[in-house]
Amino acid sequence: MNVLLEILVYGAVQSAVYAMLALGFCLIFGVAGVVNLAHTTFFMIGAYLIYTLTSLANIPLPLGLVCAIFGTGLLGIAVQHFAIKPLIKSEYSVMMITIALAFFCQELVLSVFGPVDRNVKGFIDEKLTVFGLVDIDAQRILTLVVAVLLIVLLWWFINRTKMGNAIMAVAQNREGATFVGINATRIFLVVMFISACLAAVAGAFIAPTVGARPHMWENPLVRCFAVVVLGGLGSLEGTILAALIIGYTEVIVSFTLSSYLSELVILGIFMTVLIVRPSGLLGRRQEA
Amino acid sequence: MSNPMVAAGFWSQTKGLGPYACFLGPLLLVPLFIQSPYVIDLLILCNIYAVFLASWDLLTGYTGQISFGHSLFIGAGAYTAGVLNFYFKVPPTVTIPLGGLVAALLGLALGIPALRLKGPYLALVTFIASAIPAALTAIFWEYSGGEDGLYGIAPLTQSPLLKYYLSVALLVVCCGAMLAIVKSQFGLILLSIREDETASAASGINTSLFKVVTFTTSGFFAGIAGAFYAHNQLHVGTEELSLSLSILIVLMSVAGGMGTITGPIFAGFLLILLNEWLRFIEEFRLLIYTGAVVLILLFIPKGLLPTAKALFKALLARIRRSPQPEAAGEGARSLNRAASKQ
Amino acid sequence: MDPILEVADLSKNFGGLQAVNSVSFSVNQGEVLGIIGPNGAGKTTLFNLLTGFIKPSTGKVLFKGKSLVNKKPYRIVLGGLSRTFQLVRPFQQLTVLENVTIPALAHFKPGKSSRQANQERAAAILEDIGLGSKLNFLAADLSYGDLRRLELARALAAKPSLLLLDEPFSGLSVNEINTLIPLISRQVDKGLTLIIIEHKLREMMKLVNRVLVLNFGVKIADGLPADVARDEQVIEAYLGKGGGGFGLA
Repeated sequence: MNVLLEILVYGAVQSAVYAMLALGFCLIFGVAGVVNLAHTTFFMIGAYLIYTLTSLANIPLPLGLVCAIFGTGLLGIAVQHFAIKPLIKSEYSVMMITIALAFFCQELVLSVFGPVDRNVKGFIDEKLTVFGLVDIDAQRILTLVVAVLLIVLLWWFINRTKMGNAIMAVAQNREGATFVGINATRIFLVVMFISACLAAVAGAFIAPTVGARPHMWENPLVRCFAVVVLGGLGSLEGTILAALIIGYTEVIVSFTLSSYLSELVILGIFMTVLIVRPSGLLGRRQEA
Repeated sequence: MSNPMVAAGFWSQTKGLGPYACFLGPLLLVPLFIQSPYVIDLLILCNIYAVFLASWDLLTGYTGQISFGHSLFIGAGAYTAGVLNFYFKVPPTVTIPLGGLVAALLGLALGIPALRLKGPYLALVTFIASAIPAALTAIFWEYSGGEDGLYGIAPLTQSPLLKYYLSVALLVVCCGAMLAIVKSQFGLILLSIREDETASAASGINTSLFKVVTFTTSGFFAGIAGAFYAHNQLHVGTEELSLSLSILIVLMSVAGGMGTITGPIFAGFLLILLNEWLRFIEEFRLLIYTGAVVLILLFIPKGLLPTAKALFKALLARIRRSPQPEAAGEGARSLNRAASKQ
Repeated sequence: MDPILEVADLSKNFGGLQAVNSVSFSVNQGEVLGIIGPNGAGKTTLFNLLTGFIKPSTGKVLFKGKSLVNKKPYRIVLGGLSRTFQLVRPFQQLTVLENVTIPALAHFKPGKSSRQANQERAAAILEDIGLGSKLNFLAADLSYGDLRRLELARALAAKPSLLLLDEPFSGLSVNEINTLIPLISRQVDKGLTLIIIEHKLREMMKLVNRVLVLNFGVKIADGLPADVARDEQVIEAYLGKGGGGFGLA
């Protein structure tokens, strides 16, 4: 019983993190048609920014958080404008430049902070006991809560606001959207901003539990890319569903068998989905 | 949409062996002038990396099948050699071809499902494919040495001089073979697949066959070089299967000039040598290096070697003051590019 | 003499949309068949079905007596059925000569066809088509009219017995079309069978023996140009009820 509850809680946390990370990636792909391989770099930058602001500059945590997120968002806009836009005509080029940027940022972080894991201050340092039975860092629960809040916020934004509708319009038919007066370029910038902010939030909240390293963007990139594909590129609901599947699978296998095996199982799932049904669970089916 | 980072082929205009001799000559003569083992070791590394990069370019630059998982083949070759040699004392003369074979089989295994995937999906499957062996080495850490890997792999030979010439032989044989392939009619077919696969199929080309064969061949050469690398470093570890290695290979090849084979080779030499010469600013060398790659991607999208060649040709043309079709084409294209920068 | 192409009850539906609905027709060797119909009538889908790029939902296609259904596109081309595309698809970063050499390479057997021979064949076709002076031009640098010729040259280089032309005159000026027509006629004189989809009816009529009309995926007429032009269903399809004739007779 205990184990089941543990799986339930930890699985929820893991899924929430993946969802937060993957949604941003999904948004950019769905709207701008761009595969931004520098997405998890924003995750890393969010973590390092909050570290710098709170641990080095001793700025209070809430303010540091806002600055870190906002700063990363602005960086996202810069990347979109200077690196992605010039090369937008070719899918390949965009993948190349974004991965190059990811590498560059890794080296930048390495040069400035060194290879050692950095301890990022968390919001809550205690351990909680959930459901009276499960011991877990309060930070992780906080992450879960924040993630759920953000997802709900994002849903509301996309479906209920004018800007959100404009974003969906561009995602469905870029040309058509411009015909009705929507500025696609501005929409891309907005989406990039949101996406980078989401990644930064994930980074800021995860870093206290796993530490900040210059290579921390690598593994999440493959994960988040694969989650989005599993869910169906372009489908936000699919991404959330996929995040749940992957998050829980990872936790279940880790708890019952071994954590090394969970890595393999997840990779196996991704591989199978890609080969058998590349359009994912809820994605738009594409004819050959 | 055609990839702006790919250089125009001019396949039909073969240039003869002159330029290759200019490059190879000095390479063969270096040990006569430079005794420092440090430099020799560096050049050996250059030769090995050249094969890594060229084999990637064969796959991605020529058939357009974007691979972000090249370390799969390199690591497969390296681990095959490493494991066989470490546990069973199999000599390099056997492990190296076997490494190539194992990698080739992986190329075949990956190439077939890859047929139904395009662009980002293909990139993703290559990411994942190279992550699977890495996960396996973690699971079977008792045999694979886990993250540290296996130390004490037998060297190729005791003599550093012989080692050097063996690496040059590796370069000549592997890259030579790849160059022969791309300059042949086979190579032209690959280019047509990259440019427009549907049109190529509509011209009667069995594109699936060529794509899979290229995947296999690319894997083969990368595997051979990977096995060679293991015997050179006397060690095999997870770095040979890492995402970082895959990405490094992608970036170096693109910086050198995709779709040329020679471009990536050039980039390999340039960047490894540059990397070492920048050691005096140890802290920042990789930073400068990756920053340079970003700038190259943005401003010299066709890559260093093709752009250098084009500039050289344009310069020659201006000196001779005789218009050539290539120069005219290049001029029109750069005008087009400047015009379309909006 | 058996027809070179026999299509029986060919249908294709995409989900709920019936793109091609039970179309049957045949083409004899040496004939030039025109296919016309309003936009969305299923003409290009028909071509895609014939060339193997799409699988039919039902129906039979016999080319030179052998079934084409479920054959891979490249095999169909090797069998002698070639096509051009509505939107030109050149190999951008290859030269004109290289573009046209590719189909020759499809019949490639190592050691049997030399580079020299293939290039000469390609050059000859290009000379015929009027691109002889631009052999080393990059396809990306060609004008639209030249690209159309390149497309045609490439389709001819595949040594077809039956050639499908998808809107070959689209985007060309009257002059350009008038220089293209004799090129095409010459191929027909050499024994090539042709199926042309076109909207430029007047120009197309200079080439065709027969016309087939599609509307909403259904064949509504099949016969001599003059007869088709007077067919009421056809007139209605193009111009709505009460429209005049085409002035084609």
